[in-house]
Amino acid sequence: MSRVWRKLARLIVVLGVMLVAASALALDVPPLTGRIVDLAHVLPADVAALLTSDLETHEAKTSNQVAVLILPSLDGEPLESFSHRVATTWKLGRKGTDNGVLLLIALRERKMRIEVGYGLEGTLTDLRSAHIIRNEIVPRFRAGDLPGGIAAGVHAILGTIEGSYRAEEVPSAHTRTGQEPSTFQYVLVGIFVGVMAGLVLSHGLQYTRALLGSALAFLVAQFASLVLGVVAAGITALLLWLILQTNRGGRGRRGSWGPDFMSGPGGFGGSYSGDIGFSGGGGDFGGGGASGDW
Amino acid sequence: MGKFGITLLSLLMIANLWGCGYNDLQGIDEDTKAAWSEVVNQYQRRADLIPNLVATVKGYAAHEKDTLEGVVQARAQATGIQVTPETLKDPAAFEKFQQAQAGLTSALGRLIAIAENYPNLKADQNFRDLQSQLEGTENRIAVARKRYIDRVAEYNKMVRYFPTNLTAKFLLHLDEKPNFTVADEKTVAKPPEVKF
Repeated sequence: MSRVWRKLARLIVVLGVMLVAASALALDVPPLTGRIVDLAHVLPADVAALLTSDLETHEAKTSNQVAVLILPSLDGEPLESFSHRVATTWKLGRKGTDNGVLLLIALRERKMRIEVGYGLEGTLTDLRSAHIIRNEIVPRFRAGDLPGGIAAGVHAILGTIEGSYRAEEVPSAHTRTGQEPSTFQYVLVGIFVGVMAGLVLSHGLQYTRALLGSALAFLVAQFASLVLGVVAAGITALLLWLILQTNRGGRGRRGSWGPDFMSGPGGFGGSYSGDIGFSGGGGDFGGGGASGDW
Repeated sequence: MGKFGITLLSLLMIANLWGCGYNDLQGIDEDTKAAWSEVVNQYQRRADLIPNLVATVKGYAAHEKDTLEGVVQARAQATGIQVTPETLKDPAAFEKFQQAQAGLTSALGRLIAIAENYPNLKADQNFRDLQSQLEGTENRIAVARKRYIDRVAEYNKMVRYFPTNLTAKFLLHLDEKPNFTVADEKTVAKPPEVKF
């Protein structure tokens, strides 16, 4: 028994090492855990909380999404390409107006960048960004006051882009879901078509027909992406199987499946409502902004 | 069986309609054109910055004639090329455009390198502002080029893959589009030579 456990432990260690090694190859975009992502732990909690609330009120008023990322190191990644990658992954700003800004600071390299979304390039120009870095942030950083520099930079950014957009125009659903509607639609349509087809076909050879249904779901959803196709097929197969189970009255064997199926869709939808945290609204970035060092 | 057969047939027909990719091809063709316009737009933006930059550098380093003239000439060459969406259909014209822009990039690199030798120029507010704008524009060019490269790769795949290649060839008469080449990426990425 203990040998099995030891083997298992060794396997876990090996997998862990592989995971760490893989992540060391390219600097990953950190998860968007809030408006201020301080991975280097330079901001005192009260400053971070204050800035977060400033950014929140700003977004409520203008719909502009501004986020700050402080990294211990870039690990050799070029600043500009990494910053663009982070901004487009986080999708700051609203879809369509692209009004997001990212302030990125890399401590070890002593470099920073203000990445400006397409929609704000007119107000927060490259020049204005460079001035904010040069006049607001760098002098404070050189004096050793990192929190003060970051706060001054954020406030200068907010002051510049104030009034460029108004929150009233915001369709609130858009600012919340970072999901591309078209991608999501493919999956939903795929599942719908798959389930319907599977149900129509499910007289007689039940499981084979269920498979056919999921194949159709895959066919439709793979237009979005291959992975989503597989996901849609899986969900379809599961739904069909559950429906067939309940129809056959097979609840005796696994009674819990029936109620589970009923609550299933609710739980599925629930996983998308990331209302508690902060999430990007689908904004896009074209490389505008400025870089600097201290 | 009849119901089964009809359902299957109609679903296959829908899938088939999707498979021919008529709309997808049209859409992605339009996307590549938009991505291309963005590339041209950003190159134009860079060209617009140059007269000011040259004038500012001249104020401090007028005797660096060769470098200054090199930039002016490279700019004239780059802006002298007419770019239209038709450029995308002609690999030779595309190559010419690409080379002219690469030439301007390296001429500008030399100019900025020279500025390093003039502390007064480097400290000039106007020069620093122009340099920030130039950096910003170069970065946008890089982003726009990357987007164009991605779009064209996607487009070219559709034009070549079966069965969308049939739609592209016989229905829409679409050809592969030229893309920025790796060799060109290298010249762009190469740091300018500095001679003392």
